[in-house]
Amino acid sequence: MTDRQRIFGLRAAGVYYALLLLLVTLAAIAASRGLPAYLSAQNLGNIAYQASLVGIMGVAMTVMLITGAFDLSVASVAALAAAVLVGLAGRIGFAPAIVAALCTAATVGLVNGVIVQFVGINAFIVTLGTLTAVRGLVLILTDGRSLMVEDPVVLQQMLAFESTRVPLFWPLLAVAALLLAGGVAKRRTPAIMAGGIVAALAFLGGRGASVAAPVVYLALFTAAVGFMLRFTVIGRRLYAVGGNAEAARLSGINVHAYRLGAFVLSSVAAGFAGVLFGCRLGAINPTALQGTELTVIAAAILGGTSLFGGAGSVVKTVVGALLLFTLTNGFNILNLGANYQGLIEGIVVVAAAAIYTVGGQRRRAFTRVDTAPAEATA
Amino acid sequence: MLTLSGIEKVFPNGTAALRGVDLTLVPGRVHGLLGANGAGKSTLIKILAGATAPSAGTIILGDRPCRFASPRDAKAAGVATIFQHIPLVPTLSAFENIVLDERGWRRGGDRRRIAALVATLRDPFPLDALVTDLPIGARQMVTIAQALASGADVVVMDEPTASLAGHERIAVYDTVRRLAAEGRAVLFVSHFIDEIVALTDDVTVLRDGRVVLEARTTDLTEGLIAEAIAGRAVAVLERPAQPRRRGRPLLTAHGLTSPGRLAPTDLTLHEGEILGLAGMLGSGRSELLHAIFGADRAAGGEVVLDGKPVGRWPDEAVAAGIALVPEDRDTQGYAPQLGIAANIALPQTGRLLIDHAAEARAAAAAIVRLGIKATDGDALPVELSGGNAQKVVIAKWLRPATRVLLLDEPTAGIDIGARTDILRLIRDLADEGLAVILASSEFSELVAVADRILVLRDGHVVATADPATCDEAGLIVLAGGGRPALENAA
Repeated sequence: MTDRQRIFGLRAAGVYYALLLLLVTLAAIAASRGLPAYLSAQNLGNIAYQASLVGIMGVAMTVMLITGAFDLSVASVAALAAAVLVGLAGRIGFAPAIVAALCTAATVGLVNGVIVQFVGINAFIVTLGTLTAVRGLVLILTDGRSLMVEDPVVLQQMLAFESTRVPLFWPLLAVAALLLAGGVAKRRTPAIMAGGIVAALAFLGGRGASVAAPVVYLALFTAAVGFMLRFTVIGRRLYAVGGNAEAARLSGINVHAYRLGAFVLSSVAAGFAGVLFGCRLGAINPTALQGTELTVIAAAILGGTSLFGGAGSVVKTVVGALLLFTLTNGFNILNLGANYQGLIEGIVVVAAAAIYTVGGQRRRAFTRVDTAPAEATA
Repeated sequence: MLTLSGIEKVFPNGTAALRGVDLTLVPGRVHGLLGANGAGKSTLIKILAGATAPSAGTIILGDRPCRFASPRDAKAAGVATIFQHIPLVPTLSAFENIVLDERGWRRGGDRRRIAALVATLRDPFPLDALVTDLPIGARQMVTIAQALASGADVVVMDEPTASLAGHERIAVYDTVRRLAAEGRAVLFVSHFIDEIVALTDDVTVLRDGRVVLEARTTDLTEGLIAEAIAGRAVAVLERPAQPRRRGRPLLTAHGLTSPGRLAPTDLTLHEGEILGLAGMLGSGRSELLHAIFGADRAAGGEVVLDGKPVGRWPDEAVAAGIALVPEDRDTQGYAPQLGIAANIALPQTGRLLIDHAAEARAAAAAIVRLGIKATDGDALPVELSGGNAQKVVIAKWLRPATRVLLLDEPTAGIDIGARTDILRLIRDLADEGLAVILASSEFSELVAVADRILVLRDGHVVATADPATCDEAGLIVLAGGGRPALENAA
């Protein structure tokens, strides 16, 4: 496998091509129908805003999948955190309510992790259970009705936290400059290209472009987790735990601690997504976010994360989430018939998984030939 | 009954596993097959079972030559093979497993025939019990019943007693004798020489893909067989004339034990010493190493390194300076998605940020020092040959913090060049003061590099040998025979 294929091959960069192709197609359709320009800064910002909650949960889910575990409970945990926030904000203030919501979420993650690690039940089953149980807890807390924040001051704080618009032009240029400088210094083509794309986006949007705060939270969270995975010992050990838990254990890595950490991170990220969701409306409906966990997992799969652990990238997961929400957004804006939306989304996910799996098998077949001498002499 | 003549097997990569083997199985007789690791036993069994095709030579069954294109062919021709790792479906009952290969619509099989067959076994088992609930000895009986149910005339058994306890072994011996008495031809493959002497009528010993001994068992002694197994094999490394000097005691272990697998064991290891553990598969050598490393949760006992007790978890052992190179490098040794450099840096602690440049340098240094055949530190260990992947696993522990190196079969399944490299490296490391425990079933290696050898069998340390005065054949007798194992085990 050459360097070129490693960076630009369909398996490595397919999700970027898919997003690009989709945007171009939708833009072409919009232009041909005489609708307003599809690739406007405002519309792109909207897509990112719609994808931000799933993106935040997806980033943590990717860490989870890298360690070889699974978390189906994220949407319920998000709803629980939103309920705690909305229920408490009027009484104890906005900031303490956020802390309470995140602590509640972390507790659920800890419970999930302890059951999976120390009782030894499969993560899929445990989190399927907590998916239902935590949703039940939300119903108990809200007594089955919608909760809302009455206090106008607190409501104002919540709206400010969620819908402040952040100007983009200069921050984007700064990020682009950093990526370009780093890429040139270390001779890394992907970093240079990423810098170019960010700069292009900045100029495309113009000086007045801005996005809602959740997009910025998503970007910061992705950058932090991506940095941890790529550049820290913790990140490498997470990959090792998922890639070969026994080898990791025999290398002196505390496998239990890393797996527990992934569960807590997943739940806290879900809790934060729930906080944003609660702030968006200043209210919470007990059935909110139902089914979102599947979108989160679909985003991670689109990003090429392996369900068997040991491989995955948070940036690609975020792009996977953007891809899914671009589809939704395109169907709505271009009025392409919402009935077809589910079918198309499903096909996209399965097609993506097929590309990754077929590519992976070819690679494995190649390595099997390579290891044959060891078997022959054994 | 069954005659093999001139069987050869060359693998696509050029490795010759068998170079012209002749073997004749006679009805009513038990034929023993022995050989060291890599002698070609497993390949021969696979050919008999129809799992691989020979490159040359003929198989004559009865009076006509035949070819087995698949395991089903071999079974249909009346050759049943019982593999060492018992391939049963744990979630089905014993009966369902026995009739697993029957064809047709009706699920049920000929229950009366199977029940009668099982009743003739020495250690009958309930037919409707799930295999997962059966003890390991009964599972072995299920595989024997599975082989017999197909009406086989020739039964091939690959180390059927390797994982069994004493009384379970005796049940297998009885069954083998009965199979022969009923007029079947049995090929019995084993590592245990005393077992072969007590049980078989004829013996064939393989070495390097050739038959080096074929005789009636009554004409042989354990010593003769052991010499044939060891042969005048090309010495991998010569033993240095001078005894190596060893430093002060570094690690002591008291009462290390693992239920059912390792009897309480004490040992002391000195700085710069290479302690050999000689034993066959299942003798307790891996269990002893895992107990020292804290990798076996069921294990008990205490380990003291330099006067300080070591915690009973692998991360504490690593922090104290103990390192383990596990037996199966593919499933225990490295993380397949990580490159060489990242794998080598895995045990590293005490820093948060990865220093990619330093790790690339460390990987390059390891590639040079250990002679790893890889382009650079980004190469994946799965893309390397067995010997080179093993060197990566060893390189992981070559850091200043390591004071005790535990090696579990570090040369299994790798070619002679890499093997010599690794043994030489072990000796150099010990010369630098590292304390090493080397477990191996390649006894010639232990004789060449170890300062002291503990011989294990059935979870017990049965002897301590001085490699300066003992040879490979002597060790084979100690580890696989020498004592009346049948009484001993029972």
